[in-house]
Amino acid sequence: MISNIQLIFDKENEGNQQNFVPKMEIDQTELDEILPASLLRKDLPIPNIPEINIVRHFIRLSNKNYGVDTGIYPLGSCTMKYNPKVNETIAKLPGFTRIHPLQEENQGCLELLYHISKQLGEITGMDGFTLQPAAGAHGELVGLLIMKKYFESKGIKKQKIIVPDSAHGTNPASAKMAGFSIIELISNEFGEIPLDQLEFAMQDGNVAGIMLTNPNTLGVFDRQIKEITRIVHENGGLCYYDGANLNPILGICRPRDMGFDIVHLNLHKTFSSPHGGGGPGSGPIGVVKELIPFLPIPCLISTEKGIVCRENDNKSIGRIKAFWGNFGVIVRAYAYILALGSEGLKKVGQIAVLNANYLRILLQQKYKLPYNRICQHEFVLSDQGIPNDITTEDIAKRILDYGIYAPTIYFPLVVPGALMIEPTETESKQSLDYFIEVMNKIYEETKQNPELLKNAPQNMPVKRLDAVLAARKPILHD
Amino acid sequence: MDFIPHNDKTIAEMLDIIGVKSLQELFQDIPKDLIIEKLNLPSGLSEPDLLKQFEKITQKNKVYSSSFLGGGCYNHYIPSLVDFVTSRSEFYTSYTPYQAEASQGYLQAIYEYQTIISRLTQMDVANASMYDGSTALAEAAIMSTIITRKDTIILFKGIHPEYEEVVKTYCWGQNINIVYASEDNLIEKLNGDVAALLFQSPNFFGDIEDISKFAKNIREIVPNCLIIQAMTDPTCLGILNPPGLTDIDIFVAEGQSFGLGLSFGGPGLGIFTAKQKYLRKMPGRLIGKTTEINGEKTGFILTLQAREQHIRREKASSNICTNQALCALATLTYLLALGKTGLKEVATQNIQKAHYVKKELSKIPGYEILNKKPTYNEFLVKCPNIDSLINLCKQKDLQPPLKISSYYPEMKDIALVCVTEMNSKNSIDTFLEIARIVSNNKTEGE
Repeated sequence: MISNIQLIFDKENEGNQQNFVPKMEIDQTELDEILPASLLRKDLPIPNIPEINIVRHFIRLSNKNYGVDTGIYPLGSCTMKYNPKVNETIAKLPGFTRIHPLQEENQGCLELLYHISKQLGEITGMDGFTLQPAAGAHGELVGLLIMKKYFESKGIKKQKIIVPDSAHGTNPASAKMAGFSIIELISNEFGEIPLDQLEFAMQDGNVAGIMLTNPNTLGVFDRQIKEITRIVHENGGLCYYDGANLNPILGICRPRDMGFDIVHLNLHKTFSSPHGGGGPGSGPIGVVKELIPFLPIPCLISTEKGIVCRENDNKSIGRIKAFWGNFGVIVRAYAYILALGSEGLKKVGQIAVLNANYLRILLQQKYKLPYNRICQHEFVLSDQGIPNDITTEDIAKRILDYGIYAPTIYFPLVVPGALMIEPTETESKQSLDYFIEVMNKIYEETKQNPELLKNAPQNMPVKRLDAVLAARKPILHD
Repeated sequence: MDFIPHNDKTIAEMLDIIGVKSLQELFQDIPKDLIIEKLNLPSGLSEPDLLKQFEKITQKNKVYSSSFLGGGCYNHYIPSLVDFVTSRSEFYTSYTPYQAEASQGYLQAIYEYQTIISRLTQMDVANASMYDGSTALAEAAIMSTIITRKDTIILFKGIHPEYEEVVKTYCWGQNINIVYASEDNLIEKLNGDVAALLFQSPNFFGDIEDISKFAKNIREIVPNCLIIQAMTDPTCLGILNPPGLTDIDIFVAEGQSFGLGLSFGGPGLGIFTAKQKYLRKMPGRLIGKTTEINGEKTGFILTLQAREQHIRREKASSNICTNQALCALATLTYLLALGKTGLKEVATQNIQKAHYVKKELSKIPGYEILNKKPTYNEFLVKCPNIDSLINLCKQKDLQPPLKISSYYPEMKDIALVCVTEMNSKNSIDTFLEIARIVSNNKTEGE
């Protein structure tokens, strides 16, 4: 049987390949005078493939992949907005790509890092920022280590973190990595934090703080947010803001004003840096004044001599990544903020919410919407009430058949069979209408032709894949 | 400038369908006193104005025509092919491939990345990537304590100082003890509490460590102690014996050298590999090969997700979610473009050119090579006057070598010199000429 897959390694071709190496020019020494033979490798099992074959291989693969540039990407909590092309041009300027992290003439880079941290400060209301974290979860770890160090510096031992059941999975995992244990709070029928339960949990006395996403993963803005942060503060805790869902409140309101002490942002979500198929990202952390000394090194300050690194006074949690964060990602976000400016950023928040509510109103006519309120950036449908044992997964796979990407599924866990939908502000009404049309058509199919859903997808390069087989007998390379 | 497609008429129509009168009304759940009037930021810029502003910013950085600076970030040639592939927006504008059937292209590419990395390193399994070399090393340290249920790790001398600091921070978070050791005292530092020995080779000072000399001892004294190797410039694997053939348990590396450019140190690529028996304790994503449910066609899918945070929450093997996928794609393209022949040639040029500079420098009065072991493309040299050497390099448009006292203040007048395939004979001659001038000035001064 001819396999449907052709790996690049199947294209092996023993050619000479030296197109990418400059001339040697210098007199060589016999290698065995430089190294003992025992250190030399005998075999290098990497193929030599002509350039044209490599190009065709990757073009073929790209044709089997869906991106924001292909169409609507309504993946909830992922903020898959358009990635402006000018940002790519800017990030590829030699004045950035050819700058070494340890070179001295780097004021352009340092000023950029300093300025974007001031802008992010204005956007979130926070007093100080670090751009070191490489992704959202990395930022969470840093934020929690800052909490840990803060309490250590006061000689107080606090070992627990409160995380609501609707939180992103990274929240509890990051708390664990920072050495905390987790108290899970069950959200109420509006998807909000019940204040009495919060008060009760805080009385434990051993709680360092709370991690919250607001608007939460149901797309609901917690109306009692100021009460929540007040209760945590009164009981000696700190409030951590998961900024994965910042997009809808850009220019509308600020985490600091809600009472948060630590904030992480996802530059690859809110600030338009492309997600790259799973990275690289950037997860800056912003803090209130009292926590600035605990930020990781290097930490930039402005002086008469220009932008320089602050002296390390041992209060810092230390270093969390080599060099200067994911600089190339940060450059794109900086370009985005400069391009949009004050009015543009506010419009992002407004239209992100407009688009989400437009979809919510029109989709709830057919699909069950457990938390039926004005939403922010996203909302969550459920597969309850769908006939013929059709599941959320079936619906998602059928959506692919119509040439668009599926929403986030089975998350948040608080909604059974969740379909979490976030259109973002960059989708046109026409694109939203197409998504609605597809969803309505699929709804009819659930009643009239359920097999179409159960056997979906049909129009993709492959049909539904066997995840159980993949995990039972892992094949991770050829 | 914004990237919003609606005009006012569309906005009004949509508001009408939603049943609210204004955009403001959509924010009715937000307490009134939290709403701000506007952000105190400048107005937006058009594309030409934006580009002009960035031109100004980049002018404050200096792009050197040739470089002798390494120290964890290396100047290697990047084939045009790499940017071509990573600029395909079907790849770079996609998310983590949760919907496998619509992401087969990227999933296959990362599967191929895992394949080429395990071939290059000869390690059993490679994951889909970590943030960078330093965090990969820190996660490897944590992984060793989970595997062995012990709480102490040994950091061997010569690990990149920034990597050491990152490991220290992560370990503090998890209450893991750190012990520092060197060749002289390693054996006495080993005891039953030790989960892993972490070392780097070629190390920060350029030395190629031959760990096989200690491996036997380590295994005898603490049988279940893991040996973890880090590497900052894996182009050396074009000629050096791979870690998988030297009984390494976990091998991590910074993949920046494989087609990512300098980019002020990021984004890089955390290469993470391990022996098969540790597979289910590994952090990060893994792509597996499978078939359709009906067993017909082959396909690729995110697998062993039960280790990961979105399923296991606080019981996950790591909190990592977003990784460095696009950098892994760049690295795959780089390694394919170079091929076996090219990669071997790159490694050969690095070692030959660096060796040439080392040999020539050692002939100049006042310079002393400090490495006692073989080196790859970096070495330590004691200089007659390091500041003068650095200044003269800058005047000749050469990125000077690293003044090692910036990390180790006690190591005065010592330079960490890096020479790669990118250094032409001309740039090497200029550098050696500068070294001679500095030497002469020093002698005359005395």
